Amino acid sequence: MNAFLNANLKKKTCSFSLNASLSFTEGISAIFGPSGSGKTTLLNCIAGLVRPDQGEILLNGKILFSSNKKINLPPENRALGYMFQDSLLFPHLNVLENIKYGYKTTPSRFRKIKIPDLIDLLKLDSLLLRNPSSLSGGEKRRVALARALSTSPSMLLLDEPLSSLHSSLRGEIMRYLRTISDDLSIPMIYVSHSMSEVIAMANHVLVLNNGSVVALDEPYKLLGRKDFPSLGYEESLENLFDVTITERRENNGTVMGQIGEVRLALPLFPVEVGQTVSISLKASDIMLASEKPHGISARNVFSARITSLKHLGNRVLVQTCNGHNWLSEITLDAVDDLHLTEGSTVYMVIKTNSLIPLG
Amino acid sequence: MITDGELTALRLSIQSAALGTLLAFPIAGLLALILVRSRIKWKFLLDTLVSIPLVMPPIITGYSLLLLLGKNGPLGSIIDKTFGVEIIFTWVAAALAAGLIALPLMVRAIEVSLTEMDPRMELVARSLGASRWHAFWTITLPLCKKGIIAAILLGFARGLGEFGATLIVAGNIPGRTQTLPLAMFTELQSGNDYSVIRLVLLSLILTCSTLLIHHVLIRKRKTEAK
Repeated sequence: MNAFLNANLKKKTCSFSLNASLSFTEGISAIFGPSGSGKTTLLNCIAGLVRPDQGEILLNGKILFSSNKKINLPPENRALGYMFQDSLLFPHLNVLENIKYGYKTTPSRFRKIKIPDLIDLLKLDSLLLRNPSSLSGGEKRRVALARALSTSPSMLLLDEPLSSLHSSLRGEIMRYLRTISDDLSIPMIYVSHSMSEVIAMANHVLVLNNGSVVALDEPYKLLGRKDFPSLGYEESLENLFDVTITERRENNGTVMGQIGEVRLALPLFPVEVGQTVSISLKASDIMLASEKPHGISARNVFSARITSLKHLGNRVLVQTCNGHNWLSEITLDAVDDLHLTEGSTVYMVIKTNSLIPLG
Repeated sequence: MITDGELTALRLSIQSAALGTLLAFPIAGLLALILVRSRIKWKFLLDTLVSIPLVMPPIITGYSLLLLLGKNGPLGSIIDKTFGVEIIFTWVAAALAAGLIALPLMVRAIEVSLTEMDPRMELVARSLGASRWHAFWTITLPLCKKGIIAAILLGFARGLGEFGATLIVAGNIPGRTQTLPLAMFTELQSGNDYSVIRLVLLSLILTCSTLLIHHVLIRKRKTEAK
């Protein structure tokens, strides 16, 4: 795939200096790094809200910024959608007026996305006349997302779109973002400090540390890299994925869901058959067994092939695949004991209650 | 009953306070924007300067205006040359005095609502395709509506009560520059108690209704927000 966004820029602020060179392809790209690493500054440079000291930013071949050619397109002429970390809806406008704001400023020949389609896509029908202050956190994000899309942007910039959201809403917003990426085929840059989110969402990730680019690769490939310890070290990683509900077993206290070839037993929760829900599963909540266990209370046992073993200090991150990629975290001792190697087959054991629905 | 002279004083008061507010408002808005948004080094000096008319004896404010606008003053001479008119001792001078005295109050009122507003709102608007101006008109101004209403009405109310500076720069000419407070002062000196009471009542009705309008408008905005 061709590079969609190319940037090469330097920006000094009082607290740190950003020096980044990157190229993103279409789909969802992530910018990952600890707080204070320059993620938001980089995003703001791309959006035109912060002027880089030096460098060049090209979007689809179009120059957004070039210090040599003395070009600095103002943000309103960059055709980028930006969703700020804390939604920032206009408090004096209702939901519909908020969404229409960007639509109105866009010349009619560039209006590819129509307002009714946005309302449909993000299920905003019942909220249109509400005041932003009366909305819940998740609703605000949905409106902010619709508003950012109302200009029919050629790219969407998202600054921590899931932060400070109640966990039950994270799944919902994640699914909306995927839908936007798939249905509207708008490339996205997704800023995050959570590696689990990045793994679940992005095709590519740019890792920033202290304002410098450490790596640019597929998220899985970066796990366990020794030169950049915070990649998965500090955080307890979770598997974030979507399942389609196939059956409700009220009497057994479970709900059955399907992900690829795998059928999962989930705890009973209010959901209907046919619905898609996002699930969080901690990597440390997956047990691995070298032989198929019998007589076990855990309801989910299935086989998978080990694709990689990565050492994170005294923990080992085991990546397995059976159509879907899974991350489990076990001890060094267990790896030795079970003789786990890349390519070998293991049985994954997951308790029903470890599978947490995110709504 | 109310005499024609008292009614004229009432008209002159409204007239000069209104013009003063009108002239001071854009300046107050600009000053508030600079004080809240800009990163100039000597901002605190400007901040202090803005407050001066509030704390200084109005006589000094009036005297400065007199020096500025007098026939030989820097501004007065220019106006005299280009328009052939003199502002000193006209109701326009009274309006300028009222405006200058009300200015600090107006700046503070706008400042408060500008501070309350998240400056990133404008950036959001820009990212949504709005030019700097469009963002200012559609986002910043409406979000500061409360402060703007307060600035205009409080400035007007303050202008109505202006006495010292007006006396110096506009004099106390019945029918031309004699506003309600000045008329009150004159009648008081000549022992015209009934006239004083009538003027006091007129003045009270005027200022109270201005403050009442302010209260109603702000309350309405609060309920709208809910």
